[in-house]
Amino acid sequence: MSSDAKSNANSLGAEKIAGEVAENSKRPEPTFVHAGVDAVLMQFGEQLDPCMPGFLASLRAQIIAELNDVVYEVVPSYASLLVYYEPRAIGTYDLEQVLNTIASDTPWLCSPWSADSGAPGKLVEVPIYYYELDDNVAENDMAFVCEQTGLARNEVIARHSGRDYQVYALGFAPGFAYLGALDKALQLPRLANPRKNIGAGSVGIAEAQTAVYPQASPGGWHIIGYSPFTWFEPKNHELTPVQVGDRIRFKAISKAEYEHAKAKNQAQLGGAV
Amino acid sequence: MTGFRVLKGGILSLLQDTGRLRYQHLGVTRGGPLDAKSASWANRLLDNDPDAALIEVTAGGLELESRTQIMVAVTGGDLNLTLNGEPQPPWRSFWVRQGDRLKFGTPRYGFRAYLAVSMGFQTQPVLASRATVQRDQLGGLDGNGGALKAGDELPCGHLPEEPISREIPMQYLPEISQDIVLNLIPGYQQQDFSKEAWQTLWHSTYSLSQNSNRMGARLEGPAIVTPNKSFLSEGVSYGAVQVPANGQPIIMLEDRQTLGGYPKLGNILPLDGFRLAQCMPGAKIRFKPMSLAEGQQQMRRYLRFFGL
Repeated sequence: MSSDAKSNANSLGAEKIAGEVAENSKRPEPTFVHAGVDAVLMQFGEQLDPCMPGFLASLRAQIIAELNDVVYEVVPSYASLLVYYEPRAIGTYDLEQVLNTIASDTPWLCSPWSADSGAPGKLVEVPIYYYELDDNVAENDMAFVCEQTGLARNEVIARHSGRDYQVYALGFAPGFAYLGALDKALQLPRLANPRKNIGAGSVGIAEAQTAVYPQASPGGWHIIGYSPFTWFEPKNHELTPVQVGDRIRFKAISKAEYEHAKAKNQAQLGGAV
Repeated sequence: MTGFRVLKGGILSLLQDTGRLRYQHLGVTRGGPLDAKSASWANRLLDNDPDAALIEVTAGGLELESRTQIMVAVTGGDLNLTLNGEPQPPWRSFWVRQGDRLKFGTPRYGFRAYLAVSMGFQTQPVLASRATVQRDQLGGLDGNGGALKAGDELPCGHLPEEPISREIPMQYLPEISQDIVLNLIPGYQQQDFSKEAWQTLWHSTYSLSQNSNRMGARLEGPAIVTPNKSFLSEGVSYGAVQVPANGQPIIMLEDRQTLGGYPKLGNILPLDGFRLAQCMPGAKIRFKPMSLAEGQQQMRRYLRFFGL
């Protein structure tokens, strides 16, 4: 982890995200803490490692396959799995032993991701329209971001779309994917006063993270664009097109494509959002 | 389709069942009744499936008109329910005919009432659940997480003849109080809190904040010193007691976000969370420690009793 990645502490601990694959990365040993009568938190250290999401995705799948009778929910985050279990079916200590064994049998594939590396996860392309400085959208922060970073809009776009992002976690709202790590030159603290409402599809940046708001919601991130991508669709067989362990590549689209996509989305929503 | 017509939605009336399981890894909140024990009793009174959909009425105001004849059970807080103007105390089942009007007033004791009908409300499930989660825009009558409102038509079944009405024996009635002690099972970042922080927790009385909601019960009182470090976000389980920088604890409830990064002292016993759901803003809250083994034993008894 680089030492200059200090930024304001925030509840997601995103200041710990480094942009590069950690050298000599290896799987940390899990520790277990109780999380109530029917859950244990399995933690893999307190550092954020780009190799972790792929590992956690594999481990999660393995736990569900092997412990389907006693485990009913496994929630991955940056460096942990929250395992909900049925306390009538297994003792807490026994469960931890089994989880420990499954973890040590799960391979740590730590090469940088590529389609043929054998690492889990897929690469998903997400279209994004980067706002003009004067686009008349209530939450348009592009001018503010340029001013705060000292970068021109083109440079903001180049740095934001110029790298692939890891999906570190899904949370906050259905399909809200925490993506990292953001180029250091774009890292800004959150808004001091979060907005009460941010439109669906808004592309935000905060600290070392970026994400798209899947639905209208309050939010404290800086908004630099709009994406017509659907992150969560309860009617689809696959509810979210991305999962922890996948990678995201943003592709800039034109204003004409943006206006077309936005009109289409609004028609589908009946103009309700 | 037979059912009930909503004349007034009241302050916050939501369809709930036992919740939306197995989607938390995608950021989907579980939902479900905040006082799950009272909800279980309502379904038990009618011999319903424990997962049958019912209405959680918070603080009252809901008015319904029946378009069917069916058994209804009401449990939880006493929100001055009337049937065609006649008072109906909770914790029993009764017969409702076509045209009858059910009206919840303001709380007499407790804060949330549960209204179940035979066989449950038959709305369209979303992700295998009818539970309403407003923040996720999922579940409920419209499927989009909406609260009940005037004009809604709630589908449910019809019974050809009136069954025997039942009431819950006195000894089973849960204690509903505005001055409660919550059992806390230490966990999560318990080691990171100082001895002083724990002393503050065990020896203080907190007040339930007006800003509490289905996501979390916010407490106000002596500030708990938080660990001087930041934590990566992690999955947040039911009843987690998290302490943000201002030292005012928040107890995470059924509509909590799936992930969170605040330091946590541990989790309250879910049975105490159900009692907390009957507290009004301003209620007095204290904590005492409980072992995991004791907590699990109590929960096993509860789950077995209701066939959950």
